[in-house]
Amino acid sequence: MTDTVGITALIPPELVYACRHRPLDVNNVVPTSSINPRSKLCAWTAVWRDEIMEGRMDIDSLVVVAGGDCHNALVDGQKVALSGVPTHYFFYPFDRDPDYMASQLKGLARFLGGIKDKEMFRTISGLKEKGLALDQLRVDDRARASDVFSALISFGDLQGDPAAFEEVLDTIPHTDVEYSSRVALIGVPPIYPDFHEVAESFGLHVVYDELPYEFVRLGGNDMQALAGSYRNYSFSGPITGRIEMIRQELDRRRVDGVIHYTQFACHHTLEDEIFRAHLDYPVLTVQGDLPRPSSEQLKLRLEAFSEMLEVMP
Amino acid sequence: MNTGLDVGSTTAKIVRLESGIITASKVVPSHRWKELLEYGNKWDTVETIATVETTEAIQTPEATEIIQATETTETTGTAETIVSTGYFRKTVPHTAAITEITAASLGVRYYIPDAQVIVDVGGQDTKVIDLRNNTFLINDKCSAGTGAFLELAAHYFDIPVESLGKLHTRASRCARINNTCGVFAISEMISQLVGGYTMEEVICGIHQAFARRIAQMIPPVETVVLIGGTVLNQGLVESFESIHGSTVVVPPSPQTVNALGAALYGKKLRPEQ
Repeated sequence: MTDTVGITALIPPELVYACRHRPLDVNNVVPTSSINPRSKLCAWTAVWRDEIMEGRMDIDSLVVVAGGDCHNALVDGQKVALSGVPTHYFFYPFDRDPDYMASQLKGLARFLGGIKDKEMFRTISGLKEKGLALDQLRVDDRARASDVFSALISFGDLQGDPAAFEEVLDTIPHTDVEYSSRVALIGVPPIYPDFHEVAESFGLHVVYDELPYEFVRLGGNDMQALAGSYRNYSFSGPITGRIEMIRQELDRRRVDGVIHYTQFACHHTLEDEIFRAHLDYPVLTVQGDLPRPSSEQLKLRLEAFSEMLEVMP
Repeated sequence: MNTGLDVGSTTAKIVRLESGIITASKVVPSHRWKELLEYGNKWDTVETIATVETTEAIQTPEATEIIQATETTETTGTAETIVSTGYFRKTVPHTAAITEITAASLGVRYYIPDAQVIVDVGGQDTKVIDLRNNTFLINDKCSAGTGAFLELAAHYFDIPVESLGKLHTRASRCARINNTCGVFAISEMISQLVGGYTMEEVICGIHQAFARRIAQMIPPVETVVLIGGTVLNQGLVESFESIHGSTVVVPPSPQTVNALGAALYGKKLRPEQ
């Protein structure tokens, strides 16, 4: 029987499908959620926690990425576990150890009842190729960043149905994009559901979404390949590796400036000073808290950043 | 002629430029911004606002009234470019609207071409602009380090906010105010008054707490340019200088620098003016 498996951050969705289950990235409901969390640090984890515990999200089990990405998830995930939802904790290796990564993937496969459909690895690899092509399309100014972001962020769970998701990918319009500046969006994804549209309205073409790019960059056709790839998940290791990766992408995508999105009470916020010191680009840091449409304060910052990139020498 | 109109949260400012020279400037409370355009028209009796776009964004009753009024002004056919900035930039008559960040950058460079870091202390927020790498920070979630913080203190003592700087100079020592939260700082002020400090000494402490808050936002730099109406307060400027350790430069008319920057942007749009 196919179960719906909630996932709190990136785990290989191909493995969940190969175990004949359906992943549901619990973060994807957060930006449009109406929940005001009872107690919270980061709103991302607090909102999915309450969505699950109040029975608004229909999942059979939960995989908590508790090491190497989101630290608040470890506690909020345990609250969900205590409410009776079968929960598994997944840890990335900080030192990128392939054996440790392989053991974590095996443990996850066991929790999911074992691999039953290896063909799903290849099916999803093919879809990720399409995702990479789409990503390149916006780099080449032939797709809107808001459309591409929506598609890439959905690679966390492939919207629960790879075949239907492929059709969604095929409908994304190819269109010439006009803009005043090319920007990269680094950090965790914005909790504002309209962020990319608002950026576009100020002439900012987002040509790099750091985290969603990881969703399509990583993959593999068997367990060994998955371990070799996912151990390089940039958010999970030393920040030096992440800086190197970001620099490469900023250069390849010819960006004019960088927007660092930070989430209130997320430990990644502390990385802002490091990025400012190590990235040789104008950097705009913005912060969000509860899921809401973009605030006027955010719009002012985006508009001013766009002006600075365009007007100032 | 190029007009810069800066309608901020607390005050509205106008600057007019002719052939690159400032020919008029004025400051009024924000809600009286209409007077600025009337003032400008009286000052330069032969000009008109012929180029104002009647976009949806400026179709507020006030804006429409201004446009209608100025359209009847006697003209010589010389067009005026109005560039607006500040919180209300999109709801007042404008040919173009720019953010305060860009306006401050352009305005400060008029006086100080090699300026590196600008600190714009506004009524509701404080902006730090690093011109060396085109980056900026805005503090608008906390009143400490904004004009609103000083308004709170002045309100408590029931004195005009403009008098804080003068009272500061009469203090022989400064009361220590540790709190960086504007609201809780009032409680601390009261404690220091109870402890025997005078009003002047508490005001000095408030200025130092304010300066510490702003200093935390500023990157390492030798010279900082302070702008905004709040920096007319000498007590605050002196506190900032002693706490941050950098050389502080305050340009002439620091309150109208953003309006000047907006006018200069208009000149960029229409260089022939």
